[in-house]
Amino acid sequence: MGGISGQGVIVGILATGIRLATPFLFASLGEMFSQRSGVFNLGLEGIMMMGAFAGFMTSLKTGSPWLGVLAAIGVGAILGLLMAFISVTMQAEQGISGIGLHMFCWGLSGLLFRVYLGFITSCKGFGPWNVPVLSSIPILGPILFQHNWMVYFALILVPVSWFVLYRTTWGLKVRAVGTTPQAADTLGVDVNAIRYQCVILGGAMAGLAGAFLTVGQANMYADNITAGRGFIAVALVYFGRWSPVGILLGSLLFSMMNALQLWIQVLGISFPYEFAVILPYVMTIAALAVAVRRVWAPTALGKPFRREAG
Amino acid sequence: MRKGRIAVMVILALAMLMAFGSAPGYGAPAKKIRIAMLMASTIDDMAWSQSMYDGLKAVQKEFGADKLEFVTSERMGNPVDAGAAIRQYADQGFDIILAHGAQYQSVLMELAPDFPKTSFAYGTGFTTAPNIFAYDPQAQEGAYLLGMIAALMSKSGIVGIVGPVESGDAIKYNYGFQQGVAAANPKVKVRIAYTGSFGDIVGAGELAKVHMDAKADILTGSAQQAVGAARAVAERSGVYWMSTDMDQSSLAPDHVLAAQVYHWETVIKSIIDYRAKGIVGGKHLTLTFADGTLELRYNPKLVGRIPKSVIDSVEKAKQDIISGKLKVELPKAGGK
Repeated sequence: MGGISGQGVIVGILATGIRLATPFLFASLGEMFSQRSGVFNLGLEGIMMMGAFAGFMTSLKTGSPWLGVLAAIGVGAILGLLMAFISVTMQAEQGISGIGLHMFCWGLSGLLFRVYLGFITSCKGFGPWNVPVLSSIPILGPILFQHNWMVYFALILVPVSWFVLYRTTWGLKVRAVGTTPQAADTLGVDVNAIRYQCVILGGAMAGLAGAFLTVGQANMYADNITAGRGFIAVALVYFGRWSPVGILLGSLLFSMMNALQLWIQVLGISFPYEFAVILPYVMTIAALAVAVRRVWAPTALGKPFRREAG
Repeated sequence: MRKGRIAVMVILALAMLMAFGSAPGYGAPAKKIRIAMLMASTIDDMAWSQSMYDGLKAVQKEFGADKLEFVTSERMGNPVDAGAAIRQYADQGFDIILAHGAQYQSVLMELAPDFPKTSFAYGTGFTTAPNIFAYDPQAQEGAYLLGMIAALMSKSGIVGIVGPVESGDAIKYNYGFQQGVAAANPKVKVRIAYTGSFGDIVGAGELAKVHMDAKADILTGSAQQAVGAARAVAERSGVYWMSTDMDQSSLAPDHVLAAQVYHWETVIKSIIDYRAKGIVGGKHLTLTFADGTLELRYNPKLVGRIPKSVIDSVEKAKQDIISGKLKVELPKAGGK
């Protein structure tokens, strides 16, 4: 294997996989809340792009990636608000409006980059923060505990999302609004308010996912930086059957396969690279086809709520 | 009377100034040339597309904006969009349409016969048509030299390539790089991996991190995605980056050792010259060290870290490439 042990390779694959899963976790968990409430937001990719740009630009101008993250969350939330207005208040067809939002953000991020900067440069990003004690555990330490804080935060959000969704009143309302909005309405739940909150939350988390790309991973910005990750994140919500644990598994499967193929290529293991790069996609589709027998979805997904219709 | 004579002289002088005063620089066209450029990424990608854009700007500066007008269409990765834009530009009477990528070859072949007076150009490629120029940077030449530097500078004995997609320019570049490494130190290993994308800078950064985790200490790569890899290299110490297409040292001033730079100005000017002679296409235009369209540029900040013996042998190889004594091979079947 040339200068690196077999154990080193496995640790390398798993650590890379965890890092690669991070943007998907942020974006997919946010989208999960949105879809659970009945709105699917295909604009995720575009919101991530804007989040990536906001994070980068703020970090570049202020020298603080922390402010970059906040700016990205803010921009994401505003775009989420826009999506909520279009799909909840205006009751536009969600698929089309999501694609429209994506196109808008794709164009806007490119325009803003050109107007405010116009050349590729690097910004300050987060370096790794080794968790005390835990990071020195052999094998497990380098895999899990030698990343930057955003990676830990994404992993922590999995149980937090689970708790919020299944153990809080607000989570119950979200689930009710996404499956039986009429019933929820009769019980005094403001369906549209809950949907607004979820879509805004989803937007904010997509913005955060975008910021991870620029201040957590690449420390720079270039046009079309998301390269399809937002769409993968939407697919992972379906893959994970609208549950935080499912999304974690899906994100890890996709990212671990990606890490594996990177390492296979780098170590020169004889394997056509074209197959290597599609491996994560193929494995995810295969797992989806084999594992998901009974497809459950929030029953009101994609349907605008009209009180008089009930 | 005297006043009248002065006025006439002034007018004559002005007329002469108008006619000859804006003394045309070398090869400046008699009438205004209009160029449209299409690219898959953007004019500021710090790689393939920007290098051509900078070339256009340089030629415009030399000729003057009144002699050369150019417009650009970015994000034309989709050949259907590109085809529509190319047809529009041709309809609008642009003289030269630069479709800056190997992927535009087939769409040009299809459209060009409809506009016989318009010159089309694309690259990397070599297949031409009566009104299609193909330009073809001999990326393997500079790659060979960069490979030599990498082999002689690597401490770990492993160098890594962050490739985009295995095609065109990337194949030539990687092939040349490998030969350079092998010639300078056959014990040094070259590891080649591809991101599968021309533009995914985050993916390229991750691939670079994997290369470095697997002990590569000198990295290189082509296409606009490579800037992500260069940036990832800049995060670590004791590793270096070799850049191609253009000088990327502004992005990683302490990590880019040397760069292969493309001088597109010469290519653009020769297309303009051909048109002036009534030749609207059919030429395969190469960029080489011999004709000065390729350049090896050391990073002035880091050149001191490269031992003189290394620079001497690289410069000698460069002279051999220029004189034709050293021929950098190309893959037999590949190299679109």
